Amino acid sequence: MSDTLTELGRRALLPAGLRDILPPSAGNEARLIELLVARTVAHGYERVKPPLIEFETSLLEGPGAATSDRVFRLMDPMSQRMMGVRADMTVQVARIASTRLKNAPRPLRLCYSGEVLRTVADQLNPEREMVQVGAELIGSATAEADAEIILVGIETLRSAGVKGLSVDLMVPPLVPAVLAEVVLPSSDLARLRAAIDRKDIAAVEALGGAVAPVLTRLLAATGPKDAALSALAGIDLPDDARAALDRLTHVVDLVAAAEPELAITLDPVENRGFEYHTGIAFSLFARGVRGEMGRGGRYRPNGDPTETATGFTLYMEMVLQALPAPAKREAVYAPYGTPRESTAALRAAGRVTVQGLEPVNDIDAEARRQRCTSVWRDGKVIALGASEDKR
Amino acid sequence: MTANEKLVLALPKGRILKAIMPLLTRAGIQPEDAFFDEDSRQLQFATHDPELDIIRVRSFDTATFLAFGAAHLAVSGSDVLMEFDHPEIYAPVNLDVGHCHLAVAAPADVARSEDPQRWSHLRVATKYPNITRRYFAARGVQAECIKLNGALELAPNLGLCRRIVDLVQTGSTLKANGLVEIDRIAEVSARLAVNRTALKTRPEPVNDLIGRFREAARAA
Repeated sequence: MSDTLTELGRRALLPAGLRDILPPSAGNEARLIELLVARTVAHGYERVKPPLIEFETSLLEGPGAATSDRVFRLMDPMSQRMMGVRADMTVQVARIASTRLKNAPRPLRLCYSGEVLRTVADQLNPEREMVQVGAELIGSATAEADAEIILVGIETLRSAGVKGLSVDLMVPPLVPAVLAEVVLPSSDLARLRAAIDRKDIAAVEALGGAVAPVLTRLLAATGPKDAALSALAGIDLPDDARAALDRLTHVVDLVAAAEPELAITLDPVENRGFEYHTGIAFSLFARGVRGEMGRGGRYRPNGDPTETATGFTLYMEMVLQALPAPAKREAVYAPYGTPRESTAALRAAGRVTVQGLEPVNDIDAEARRQRCTSVWRDGKVIALGASEDKR
Repeated sequence: MTANEKLVLALPKGRILKAIMPLLTRAGIQPEDAFFDEDSRQLQFATHDPELDIIRVRSFDTATFLAFGAAHLAVSGSDVLMEFDHPEIYAPVNLDVGHCHLAVAAPADVARSEDPQRWSHLRVATKYPNITRRYFAARGVQAECIKLNGALELAPNLGLCRRIVDLVQTGSTLKANGLVEIDRIAEVSARLAVNRTALKTRPEPVNDLIGRFREAARAA
């Protein structure tokens, strides 16, 4: 007994965070990806497909820098250069936009889907291999572009059947702009940043010095959009911080006008995990799911100072949790000897047929064993009654 | 995996629980009677608020329940939050109870005779391997942590290591075991912490509870 377990363990054990996805989950995931991509394509985003592995230097540029400690590295025996397996696809699409598609007219709309690999799992997700679907809108600095990316993300998730969506909007450059106004010892600054990240108002009051009143008011303006916007209105801010907040207000108005029913929350001080964003950023949530469906925002692709982009990434592992369990497979069992052309019309109509490969005595039992829901008999589809065995 | 419809507040067993009971009352949270029964095997408790349940877990587990969204709010020591430093957790309210501090301690003769400048590698017994590693790494020292769950003060005397990182309340346990404090790492007190997704997707009830705890802490 223990020997067989060891043998099974040897063959079946996968490295931590990697898994085989079985039926019906693998099929569900593939259908979901195609649904999501199709909806972004319908909004004018064209699909690109970057390679799984590329040179480390290009993978860690611009928005990729944040993934540096999560990238699997290997050496390319051909070029003797270090390569990385992508931990995020945004940076790859940004690279395509700024190199091969440099002369393509702006705004450039691109979308993608694919696997990413991470050396360490997220704290919430044990998976190290994950599937992303995303879209990038490159070369437009307008508030309309910020709003479009959010709206397309929302509509894309909704088209796949995700309910109870909400969006949380952030302005990652806001806190750095406010902090630029004061001179604090670097150790205090680090503690202040940590306190802001944890929304620890008492510590912000204690550490914030001259900007403490502004910071605490920004912290208090977290929550549903109407209350948050009115709380933000009267705050006295440096010019670039004010400009960033005005942009937030504008984008909220655009999103709310297009999606009056959508739950919108604001979090002007959120910065953790959004460090590379240079403008409006956001997280997409669905009620009842314990984490983000996706996130995105404005960034500067690959260090080109004249280019700006915004985009979203959706995480399939989380999106799948937001969806109801799909219906069981409906399949028609075609007993041994059924000519294939006689069931061709079923397949053409999108039905699934399973061909019997040898004669059996009890066709219905064999159909159930093959997990079919009906049998092809006398030129007709006959539904199987309730299953007698307890499979 | 879908989140519970009710909000769940995780409370730590033991020392902090006693200290925060008056705060809970002031915040208008009244647990069912079984909650006060020390012998009860029950782990999840209703409150007078039909939308709020309480769970009682080990102090270190509050952060874990919270991070995974199994609890939406938690009362947690700042030592625990610091150890798990988790981006999914906010700690908006300092409840200002359960005060103590995290310290590095060593036998008195060790503390007297050595020069911390010369450290390059140390073995340290602690309940807080992440905090300990970070603290020593910031000083250019590679700390090999031995994770213990209690009775840390024994470790130096029995030759397990020469230093410990532990919570210190009055210092009497250290003293009784011939140890002295070498450095203070952080002040510790109980915090109200919330899960990020819960705050974003259910802002009204979560913000309401945060406000009630803030008032309750201020009134203390």
